[in-house]
Amino acid sequence: MSELPDEAYAVALALLPKVGPATLRELTAGEHGLPDAWARITGATDEAREDVERHWRRHCDLGITVLLQGDARYPERLCDLPFAPAVVFCRGNPAALSSHPTVALVGTRSPTRYGIGVAAQLAADLSAAQVSIVSGLALGIDGAAHEGACGAGAPPIAVVAGGVDEPYPRRHARLWQRVSELGVVVSESPAGGRTEKWRFPVRNRLMAALSDVVVVVESRHHGGSRHTVDAAMMLGKGVGAVPGSIRSVASEGTNALMAEGAFPVCSATDVLVALSLRGAHVPIPKKPAAGEVGKDLPPSEKALFDVLTFEPTSLDELVRISGLDFAELCGGLERLAQAGLARDLGGWWERV
Amino acid sequence: MLAAITSATLSGALGCAVSVEVHVSNGLPGFTIVGLPDAAVREARDRVRAAVLSSGLPWPMTRVTVNLAPSGIRKAGAGLDLPIAVGLLVATGHLPPDCTEGLAFCGELGLNGSLRHVPGMLALAEAASSPGLVVPLVDVHEAALIRGTGVHGVATLSDLVLVLRRQAAWPAPPEAASSVNVPTGPDLSEIRGQMVGRRALEVAAAGRHHLLLVGPPGSGKTMLAERLPSLLPPLSKEEALTVSRVHSSAGGALPVGGLIERPPFRAPHHQATIVALVGGGNFTFRPGEVSLATNGILFLDELGEFSIAALEALRQPLEEGVIRINRAGGSITFPADFLLVAAMNPCPCGEGVFDGACKCSVVIRERYRRRISAPFLDRFDLVVPISRPSAEDLLSEAPGQPSADVAGRVAAARQRAAARGDAEPALTAEASDALRQKLRDGALSARGFVKVKRVAQTVADLEGADVVTFNHVSEAIRLRAGRSAVIA
Repeated sequence: MSELPDEAYAVALALLPKVGPATLRELTAGEHGLPDAWARITGATDEAREDVERHWRRHCDLGITVLLQGDARYPERLCDLPFAPAVVFCRGNPAALSSHPTVALVGTRSPTRYGIGVAAQLAADLSAAQVSIVSGLALGIDGAAHEGACGAGAPPIAVVAGGVDEPYPRRHARLWQRVSELGVVVSESPAGGRTEKWRFPVRNRLMAALSDVVVVVESRHHGGSRHTVDAAMMLGKGVGAVPGSIRSVASEGTNALMAEGAFPVCSATDVLVALSLRGAHVPIPKKPAAGEVGKDLPPSEKALFDVLTFEPTSLDELVRISGLDFAELCGGLERLAQAGLARDLGGWWERV
Repeated sequence: MLAAITSATLSGALGCAVSVEVHVSNGLPGFTIVGLPDAAVREARDRVRAAVLSSGLPWPMTRVTVNLAPSGIRKAGAGLDLPIAVGLLVATGHLPPDCTEGLAFCGELGLNGSLRHVPGMLALAEAASSPGLVVPLVDVHEAALIRGTGVHGVATLSDLVLVLRRQAAWPAPPEAASSVNVPTGPDLSEIRGQMVGRRALEVAAAGRHHLLLVGPPGSGKTMLAERLPSLLPPLSKEEALTVSRVHSSAGGALPVGGLIERPPFRAPHHQATIVALVGGGNFTFRPGEVSLATNGILFLDELGEFSIAALEALRQPLEEGVIRINRAGGSITFPADFLLVAAMNPCPCGEGVFDGACKCSVVIRERYRRRISAPFLDRFDLVVPISRPSAEDLLSEAPGQPSADVAGRVAAARQRAAARGDAEPALTAEASDALRQKLRDGALSARGFVKVKRVAQTVADLEGADVVTFNHVSEAIRLRAGRSAVIA
């Protein structure tokens, strides 16, 4: 059984109770190598040996890549961290962690439709511009960002708290699968372990380290995004925030961040500019001139398009303003939506 | 001596013929009722005794046995008082033996011998098998609705004895009040703005589509729902009979001089128990709100506050149009063919995610949404987001379109639908492509696909169009848009 690689012992050590990133670092830093550290702790009984083999086989079967610090594939960006994780577990393509410029899109788990829309749009635009989106696959902004990032473009990166084999929240199981197919899901926790609560804020430092720029889309006053922002500032990364209504609780945190010096993010271009300033080579697309959008629409739809604004408007209002019959209005909106010019936000409509 | 009297008892909302046999024999004085009587029937002994004595007739000092046949079914209510009393008087020789020929009897007795109202007279009159029927004076009109002639009303037991001894003629029935025009309730013209809500009501009424209104508090969901009855056409004779029968069996009074002709509107409170909603009971089965709303509207305000079990219990009647109640003591079927209208907030704080003002945590919002199961939500063809009316709308002086205009369109649309029968909706190529695309994108489920087609057909009917166009399909899709706000 001596043919087991070091990675197998790293998995076994990470799965031991009460072993967090710091302990794991200490254990792996020992002079005599991982098998020795493992043998000292467990006594190298046959039972323990079987466990190592079982867990390792499971990781191999699930296609989980185990990256030790020092491995050529270990992401360079993580090395900047003062306490870089000794081991990271990846599902998907680990090369995605270093291949593209990266932007973290983070925010509250209870966003507004505005936040969801902006997160998805930013993610789609940025990933089309060959920028990888880093996020946490959590509910709300994280999920919306990954949804947007799963189109064509740069591979998405997800940093999760628990094992990469167990989607959490369950609702995002499909999204989780897609991210691991298109890009990579990465974690400090081995597969098959329990997910302790403290792992959630702790993973935020990985998110900050893995991205060149962190953008907060929406966050409440004392939101969890703050952990990511603090880590990013400590690492000297750029921090941007999406401005929101001063009346929206979901934008209190982001508006405050801007007051503290975060750069405002009004479009993907703002993020691309910030990335270029940091030396990333990204082409910055030109904005279409105003008045050009929707020029070729037939007159009836053009009239409806002109009524729409970027502020969501209720259908009731649209009936009143447009003066159209309800079925006509619905048909017109549907056509605009098909053309990608308008979008429905649960009964409210806005321009794209 | 033996006497057999024809009567009827309620079994659910329907009547069931009962033969009341009274046997008087020598032995220790006593009075026994057999044949599955409920508590009210057992107590008939004391009421009948007092009523007979108050009417100036002697009580037999012999052994009296009353059998209610068929003995297999439960007999409920005080309506059997009168046949028991008449049977006793015949059996003891105080009435001629042939005087009850061709007559059935139904009525509750007071201790002074007066006859009182019996709930469910409509159904009882239907079931009593003899050509003539004797009922309390107050119930003559209700019984006559179903039987036409041969219904006799009497005020007291002693009056009846005189008639049966041929010493008096049947008393004249009370003056029939002419059918009054029942007001149709609040009118749509009182609503300002709410174009989407109005449209949803119109489509729901025309196609009998179940409707869920989702919106913040104070946006007018309840106000809208309360105006839906005014858009529905009056009940047909058959429907009116069903509705009246259920209401009557639940103890409700029928309108003066006729059947219930307007579709009923029932709005149970959200704390209603399962039994209150679907009906039940042990001896006497009472119809629940779903049955009282049959051929009309069941409105569930604050849908998210109803108990999950109560809502899930609605799924079977929604599917089958009837509710079956099964108990150890028997089972019964009530009609429950209603149009379900419900209203709810998108989340507990009510502000939802429409304008970013929601203060609920993710967990709380999730829990609230989980109360409405996906299969239950699927029963609603229309899930309509309602937004607060704007100040311009509220302050405008112009009244909204009155109910009568909308009801006219609804009636026309229903006629078109009836004329078309079960034929598949004809879609234009563009409409059908758009629908297929939605199905392929996963924007519509298979069930959603079918429902959108049905709603689009109703929209086309309302417009008087022969084919379903892209606009109709788009409208049908928009009238489901509220799902994204409710579904977890």
